[in-house]
Amino acid sequence: MPLETEARAQVRALIADLKPNDGDLLIALHRVQHRYGYISREAMEVVAEQLDLFAAEVYGATTFYSEFRLEPPAATTVRWCSGPACRLRNGTGIRDAMLATLGLQTLGEQTADGRVGLTVGQCNGTCELAPQVWVDRTEDHSSRVVGQLTAARAVRLARALRDGTDADDV
Amino acid sequence: MTSSTTGVVAGERFAALREHAEAVYAAWRHPERPRIDVAIDTSSLASGAGATRAALERVAADRNAAVDLGRNHGYGMQWLQPLVTITWPDGTSVLYGPVRPEDAPSIVDEATGRVGAAAALASGVLAGDRPGIPSVREHPFFANEPRERRLLRNIGLTDPESLEHYIGSGGYRAVGRMLERHQQPEQVRQLLIDAALTGRGGAYFPTGVKWNFLAGAPTDERYLVCNADEGDPGAWVNRVILEGDPHLLIEGMVFGGFATGARHGFIYIRDEYPLAVERVDQAIRQAEAAGLLGEDILGSGFRFTLEVIRGAGAYVCGDETGLLSSISDMRGQPRIKPPFPAVSGVFFKPTNVNNVESYSNAPFVLRNGPEWYQAEGTEEMHGTRLFTFSGDIPRAGFMEVPFGTPLPALLEACGGISGGRGLGALQSGGPLGSLLPGAVLPTLDTTLNAFRAHGGSLGSGGMIFMSDETCPVHFNEFIADFVEEESCGRCTTCHHGNQRMTEVFRRIIDGGGRREDRHNLEMIDTTIQNSNCQHGQLSPTVMRNTLRHFAPTYDAHVAGHACPTLTCEGLTRFRVVDQSDPRLPEAVDICPVDAFRGAEGDWEILDDRCIRCGACTDVAPRGVAREPVPARPALVPVG
Ligand SMILES: Cc1cc2nc3c(=O)[nH]c(=O)nc-3n(C[C@H](O)[C@H](O)[C@H](O)COP(=O)(O)O)c2cc1C
Ligand code: FES
Repeated sequence: MPLETEARAQVRALIADLKPNDGDLLIALHRVQHRYGYISREAMEVVAEQLDLFAAEVYGATTFYSEFRLEPPAATTVRWCSGPACRLRNGTGIRDAMLATLGLQTLGEQTADGRVGLTVGQCNGTCELAPQVWVDRTEDHSSRVVGQLTAARAVRLARALRDGTDADDV
Repeated sequence: MTSSTTGVVAGERFAALREHAEAVYAAWRHPERPRIDVAIDTSSLASGAGATRAALERVAADRNAAVDLGRNHGYGMQWLQPLVTITWPDGTSVLYGPVRPEDAPSIVDEATGRVGAAAALASGVLAGDRPGIPSVREHPFFANEPRERRLLRNIGLTDPESLEHYIGSGGYRAVGRMLERHQQPEQVRQLLIDAALTGRGGAYFPTGVKWNFLAGAPTDERYLVCNADEGDPGAWVNRVILEGDPHLLIEGMVFGGFATGARHGFIYIRDEYPLAVERVDQAIRQAEAAGLLGEDILGSGFRFTLEVIRGAGAYVCGDETGLLSSISDMRGQPRIKPPFPAVSGVFFKPTNVNNVESYSNAPFVLRNGPEWYQAEGTEEMHGTRLFTFSGDIPRAGFMEVPFGTPLPALLEACGGISGGRGLGALQSGGPLGSLLPGAVLPTLDTTLNAFRAHGGSLGSGGMIFMSDETCPVHFNEFIADFVEEESCGRCTTCHHGNQRMTEVFRRIIDGGGRREDRHNLEMIDTTIQNSNCQHGQLSPTVMRNTLRHFAPTYDAHVAGHACPTLTCEGLTRFRVVDQSDPRLPEAVDICPVDAFRGAEGDWEILDDRCIRCGACTDVAPRGVAREPVPARPALVPVG
C-alpha cells in the first residue's frame, strides 16, 4: 500500500462510509469530484482500496463516464447543449463561434489562463429555451442557463467570459 | 403474529396515514387564504422561476398581503414557464404564465381580490370555475389527452415534495389494501399481465411477464432496478414523474418488490437531472419515515428498501445491461445477453429492470384493475404514455396521450410548425430511433406498428418536429457523432463503424461527398448490426432512414454538391449582399474569426477564414446572406 499522505487521508475520510460490492463506486467518484473538482490518480487509488477494486478498474470507470474529469476544470465551464432542438437552431454555429472566440480547437479544452472551458452538454428537456448553454462556475457549483441564443450572442458571451467582463446580461 | 393480524395492522396503519394525509391535502386544495404556487421544476427554473418566486415573496411581504406561497410542478405547457398557480379558499385554481418577476404585483393583486389584475397571463382554470377563463383542459395543447389524466393526475395540483399530498389524493392506497388483504405476489403479477402493461423504455415488452421471470429466480438475493437514465436527447418524460410525482414511482416499485420477491431496489437517475435526484431521494426518506418503505412495511412483515444511484453521463448505461454494470461498481459496459437480467443482474444476482413510466403505471392497474387500464389505447397497445415535444414548434412541453393518437393531431396540438413552415422530418426514439419525412405524417399514430411500417420506431417518449428548412444530412452528423461518442468501445464493429459513419457524414457536409458514399454507408450499416449490444445494433437506423426516405436530398449533397436548405457548412458560404445595411459594421465586429475585409460600402467576407457560424447574419440579416457555394467539377465516380 502506498505511503499514507495527508491528501490520501482526506479522501479516505470523505468516503469512509462506502463499502465494497454495494454499488458505491459512482457515489465515491461523485463525492471526490465535488470536493476537488476532478479525480486525481491518488484519489482513484484510495477509492480502489476502500471498495476493494483494482486501481485500474477505478481508472477504467472514471474515464468511461463523461462527467468525470482527470484534470481541474476551468473557473467557468460553458456546457454547450448538443441536443436536437438546439441543433435545429444553429447549434453547431453557436459551438463554432464560441470555440473560435475562446481560441479553442475542440470541445473539452479550456483557455490557457484556465478562465473558461467549453464542453459538450446533453439535453435536459428544457428545449423550449433552445438553443442554449449552461454556464457552470466551479467555485460555488452554480449553474446558469443562457437560452434562446444566437451565434452573435454566443460570441458576446464567450468574449465576456474570456475577458472577465460582466457576462450576466449578455 | 399470524398473517391475519399483520393484515389488520397494515390496514390500521395505512388508515391512520390516510386520515392525516387527506386532511392536509384538503387544506391544500381549499386553503384558508389564497395561495400562490410557483412551479419548481427543471424547466421552470431554467426560465427563471427562482427570480419569479423571490419577487412574489418580496411583493407579498412588502404589502403584508394575506397570501401564502407554495410550490408545484409545471402543468406541461413549458413554453409558458415560469408557470404560477393561484388557489383560492373556494378551491378554484387558475394557472398563469409566463410570470416574470415584474408580473409579481399583478399576481399578488389577483390572489388578494383584485381578480382580473393578471388576466393577460391567465392560461386556464385548473380546478373550479372562473368566468372568462376557459378550463386548461380545453387548451388545444391538451386536446389529445384523455379526459382524466392518469400518470399526470397530480402534476400541477400537488406539491411534489409532499407525501401527504400523494397519499391524500389516493396514493399508496392500493399498497395498504394489498397488505391488508394478503394479496399474493402472483395475483399482483397476473393483474399486470391481464392489463397487458408494456415497458415504456422503448421495447414495449410485457411488464408482468418480466416480473414472472424474476419471481421464478432460484435465489432470494434479487434486486429491482429502475432505469431513470433517460438518455435520448429530446425525451424528458421520466423527468416529469421523478420531479413531479416521485411517490408514484416509489409506489410502483413497492409493488414490483412485492410481486417479484426483490427486497432492495436501485433507482438509477442520470446526472443531468439533479433536481430529480434530490426529490426522489427525499421521497424515499419520507416513505421510510411513514413505514411505506423499510424493514417492515406498515407492520406487515414485508421488507423493501430503495436507494438512488446518480449516473455520470454515459448514454449506453441506459441499456439495461450497461446500467447493471454501472451499478455493480464496473464501467458501464453493456453485457452480452443471455444471461438476461432475471438470471444475472446487479452483482450478477437475479434482477428486474424497468423504466420509470413502466413502474409508475403499476399503481393504477392495482388501484383500478386491468379493465379500467385498457379503457384507453388500441386493441394492440393499451393505456396511455407520456410524450415530450420539441423542435420547430411554438409549444414545447409534455403531455399524456392514449396509444393510437394520430401524429397530425399531436403536431396540431403543438401549434404546427413555427413560422407557417411545413414539417420536414420527425425524429423519435432518440439517436437509435428514427428520422421520418413529413410526408408520412398522415399515416402515423402513437403505436409501434405505425412507425415500423416506415422502418421507424415509436421510442420512449421524445418527439422532435423539424421544419422543412432542416437538413436531414446535417442532422445525421449529430446522430453519428452521438452514437460514436457513446459507444462503450468493446466491439470494433460499433466503435470503429460509427467512427467511419461520422467521418463520412462530416466529409459530405464539408462538401466532399462521393458517389460511393451510399455504398460505404450501407456497408457500415450491415457491419455495425453485428455488434454485441443494442447500442451498436441500432446505431445505424437513423442513417438507414435517411438513405431511404430522404434520397433526393442526400443525392443533392453527394452528386450535386448542394445543400438545398443552405445548412451544410461546406456547401454554403456567406456573402455581403447589401452594402447599404447600416448594421454591417456590427457584423464586422461580431465575427469571431475576423473574416471581413474592406471598408464601409465595400465589405467582403474572406471565404477561407469564415467558419459559417452565422453571427454576422444574426446582427445584419439584410446585409449578409447564405448562398450556395459555386458548383465544383464533378468527381470521377469510383467503382
Ligand atoms: C443504448 C441504449 C440506451 C437505452 N436507454 C434507455 C433509457 O435511458 N431508459 C430506459 O428506460 N430504457 C433505455 N433503454 C432500454 C433498456 O435497455 C431496457 O429495455 C428498458 O430499461 C427496460 O424497461 P421497460 O421494460 O420497462 O421498458 C436503452 C437501450 C439501449 C440499447
Ligand atoms: S436540445 Fe438543447 S435543451 Fe433539449
